[in-house]
Amino acid sequence: MSLLKPFSKLPGLNTANILLVESEEQFQQSLADVLVEETSVTVNVRLAKSLPLPMENDESRPRIDLVVFIINLTSELSLQSAEASLKYLDPGYFLGKVCFMVTNARNASAPAERLDAVRKLAASLHCPLLFAENQTPDGVASATERLLTILKVAAGLVPIATGLYVSNLTRCTLPLDIDQPSFD
Amino acid sequence: MESSDSQGKLNHMVETMEPNDVPAAEGATGQKDTSPVDMLRIKQQMSNQCFEMAVQLNAEKNKRSCSTSEAERDLPEYIGELERVKTLHFNSTLTLHRMQMWHAIGEKLNWSDSEADALKAISDRCMGLCSHIKHLQQESKKLQDEVTEIQKNRLEMKRLTHEKIKHMEESSKKEYPDMEKYKAALEKGQANLEKYKKMAIMTQNVLRGILLACKVNWLDDPKLRDIAMTLEEFPISE
Repeated sequence: MSLLKPFSKLPGLNTANILLVESEEQFQQSLADVLVEETSVTVNVRLAKSLPLPMENDESRPRIDLVVFIINLTSELSLQSAEASLKYLDPGYFLGKVCFMVTNARNASAPAERLDAVRKLAASLHCPLLFAENQTPDGVASATERLLTILKVAAGLVPIATGLYVSNLTRCTLPLDIDQPSFD
Repeated sequence: MESSDSQGKLNHMVETMEPNDVPAAEGATGQKDTSPVDMLRIKQQMSNQCFEMAVQLNAEKNKRSCSTSEAERDLPEYIGELERVKTLHFNSTLTLHRMQMWHAIGEKLNWSDSEADALKAISDRCMGLCSHIKHLQQESKKLQDEVTEIQKNRLEMKRLTHEKIKHMEESSKKEYPDMEKYKAALEKGQANLEKYKKMAIMTQNVLRGILLACKVNWLDDPKLRDIAMTLEEFPISE
């Protein structure tokens, strides 16, 4: 099995590597364009449609510091693809090196159960859940900022924090009434 | 499985004047002038990354099996402990840095060059300001004490006034049973007074009548004049 392992390679100097996994391959491109503009750290962005990643690139691929699953709430396929990809990640990643990003949460065609399902998934895996707005450049910029904050910690570039420590603060928590029907 | 790991390896364009096939994975490229501060920063980053990897290794060694719910329960305690230790460490580091700074300043002051003189001047000024502050604080403390004293006295006065008022009210109420007797006595006295007044007025009227009727010349006789003068004091009819 080609599991992606977090610590199997050496990190680069002042470098952070992020992997964006999205089955629709749209938002990841615009995110990537803004992510590389970061100046204080060298950010390498790798894009994928789903996991597992192809074996051929295994040698040249650097150590991935953060894996972001981008889920579009208006499509069921997006969620299923993300769930299927989770199997190909080494469990070590879930200690602060995985993040879920959700788009189109305000769209009327997104059923509430899907958002609940994503929330439950993120909470059970102890991962942060970010909401992003992908239509405007402002939305992309703010999503990038938040990703960068998490990325810098996950890559070990922030002196006092490690991914595991911060994951206790950023993990998604379920509100108590999530099992009850919502007011619609 | 679909897997176009589309090599969107978008490198950081700005700093690489070098050919684009330099893989960023090595990380050692991009040799710009790294200042000592940058190097210190990178050193800290590396130690942080090594720490992360060491933690992972240790985790493998200290594995024990327990249920998820047990783990969830224990987690907040461990996090609390971790927070405590981290804060302690951070504060100690701050103190250490402070000590280092002061040591450096002290050493600097021992040399005598222009910067040391500037430092001395600044520290003298600081000392002056601090003693001024202390002086002002003492004064304000004194004034505050005086104000408090005066307020205490005022409250005391207020309390006494209230007490006196209460006493007065009580005593004015207490007279009531005796007041009946006094009122009765007063009325009797007043009735007597009226009676005697009437008698006096009647006698006067009679005397006046006699004087007028007999056409007595009372102006010449001093004794008669005195008596006639007193007749004016009471009204002719009440």
